[in-house]
Amino acid sequence: MSEPLVLELEVKPLDFLAAGETATQFKETLKSLGLPPEICRRAAIVVYEAEMNIVIHGGGGVMRLQVEEDKVTIMAEDEGPGIEDLELAMQEGYSSAPDFIREMGFGAGMGLPNIKRNANELYIDTAPGKGTKLRAVIYLNKGR
Amino acid sequence: MAHGVKIVEQSCRGCVNCIKSCPTEAMRVIEGKVRILSEICIACGECLRRCPHRALLLEEDEWDYILSKRPMTLVTDPSFCTQFSWPPIPELMTQALFELNFEPIFDEYEAAYDVTALAVARAIESSSDNLKPLISTYCPAVVRLIQIKFHELIPHLVQVESPLETSIDLWRARSKRRDPVTLVSSCPARIAMVRSPVGRDISSAEFAISTSKLAREVLIGSGDPSKKVSVDHPFRAPRWIAWAKTGGESMHVRSFSSRPIKTLEVDGLRNVINLFQEMELGKLRGIDYVEARVCDLGCIGGIGNAESRFLSRIKIDNMKIDFNFNEENREKLESIYDAKIWSLREKIVPIEQMPLGEDLAKAMERLKQLHAVYADLPHLDCGTCGRPSCRVMAEDIVKGEGSLDDCIFRLKERIADLSKEIYDLSKRLVHTMTPEGKS
Ligand SMILES: Nc1ncnc2c1ncn2[C@@H]1O[C@H](COP(=O)(O)OP(=O)(O)O)[C@@H](O)[C@H]1O
Ligand code: SF4
Ligand code: SF4
Ligand SMILES: [Mg+2]
Repeated sequence: MSEPLVLELEVKPLDFLAAGETATQFKETLKSLGLPPEICRRAAIVVYEAEMNIVIHGGGGVMRLQVEEDKVTIMAEDEGPGIEDLELAMQEGYSSAPDFIREMGFGAGMGLPNIKRNANELYIDTAPGKGTKLRAVIYLNKGR
Repeated sequence: MAHGVKIVEQSCRGCVNCIKSCPTEAMRVIEGKVRILSEICIACGECLRRCPHRALLLEEDEWDYILSKRPMTLVTDPSFCTQFSWPPIPELMTQALFELNFEPIFDEYEAAYDVTALAVARAIESSSDNLKPLISTYCPAVVRLIQIKFHELIPHLVQVESPLETSIDLWRARSKRRDPVTLVSSCPARIAMVRSPVGRDISSAEFAISTSKLAREVLIGSGDPSKKVSVDHPFRAPRWIAWAKTGGESMHVRSFSSRPIKTLEVDGLRNVINLFQEMELGKLRGIDYVEARVCDLGCIGGIGNAESRFLSRIKIDNMKIDFNFNEENREKLESIYDAKIWSLREKIVPIEQMPLGEDLAKAMERLKQLHAVYADLPHLDCGTCGRPSCRVMAEDIVKGEGSLDDCIFRLKERIADLSKEIYDLSKRLVHTMTPEGKS
């Protein structure tokens, strides 16, 4: 097995435009490796939603893409406020986003559920005041 | 694959002005001359706009040859009618072209564009929600862009033929004529479609020339047709004229929809690319149809036009265009629809890019090499190496299609190192001689 390939990008708070660009860039990388379009698509959605959460809720952080021969792992880490009630946050439609963000068309409360749907495994390590670490794994030889 | 762009080697100065304008990074300057990687060129024509030396032109057929074949049948882009001082009325255009011994087939356009709009409207109505929004296939550069860069959007492309091709098919069916047809195009993408069509094996047109060339001939060779043909006030134009500018297609499609539909009209390359990126992230729910055109303002903004796109737009806006279909013609339209003449015969397929390696492990190795090479480059994207960016340069080097020495900053460093080495060497003395004062 060769060493995993790792790409890392810094995420700035409230930089809404950059989020789509990171997803596009990570997706281009996965495409250039010859991974199936379906995997690239799912990974891009996970990246986009996870990064959006760092942008909107997490106060900035880091996005990491790790490729191994059997899986793609997406990691999103921030040192923001953390999530108080994770079970609630995972529910479709739940969002704590303030009005000005909703007015921009974000904060529909579908991000975390969307990540869960597109990843094979999802781990979230979070606590109030401690920040949030998200890790989503997509296996190359499994469906979703 | 044909891309409709002609490189005039003698005129190319290797200035690299063009290479950064290419949306798919398909251009290189190698040994002082520009090259286009035809398998990833979308024929948008951006590079033609950027070249200050007229080294990039439309790849059209020999004008003298076309002239020698007159009477020649013409199928012109609707935007052709907006190129002149007179209003965009097909009767006037026909008169001017007849005088030059050309035979335009405008008479077929109404049926062709109506059946196209009808087919799109029906495709929208019968399409499942996860395939929406459907995307128009009218702009061939948009189709190529999706085939090359946005594979996930391929199922959204509406399987409807260009109404210009359909016009030729209708004309042949009606007239039983087999003599060649010349397409008059305002962009490289439509010219490319005559040579390498998508969704059908061969184009119904045989030749292609640019709008600007024919427009110049009309301006020189035929007088103002509005002095010979009288047209009633207010000026009326058929629905298909509206397709020359962004939004016209959507209006037409909406007029055939049995329920209200949400359409989105976007033009300009950068906007179109942003839109497709957003679409791939699933952000455009609730929209039924996307009318995307890579040229600003639509086909009137194509690089091959003679007239200002702004004036063209005013000319169209000044026309009275009736989008209500005359129901007396319904039976005829339905019979053309039933004949499926509007349908693309072949599925649009993605144009696959070569991955970096044969399998994932090799590709990952290559990508790591690429990152290492990239880290050594100056990240200025200056273009002097003949590549649009340092990243593309790194990619070319890893693929064995370039050398680090193509980078002048690296070359400068190497020269500096080398001259230091030469200097050091020159200080070294022959070992048999040890002059005083030296140790
Ligand atoms: N990185 C994060 N830091 C703090 N809170 C978060 C983070 N990610 C998600 N949350 C919380 O979880 C909720 C649900 O997230 P999500 O499903 O993505 O919906 P949305 O982002 O639209 O609000 C958010 O409203 C927020 O309260
Ligand atoms: S812009 Fe491109 S094609 Fe034109 S002269 Fe410069 S390098 Fe050659
Ligand atoms: S026509 Fe467009 S895609 Fe092709 S080389 Fe020129 S800029 Fe690039
Ligand atoms: Mg979210």
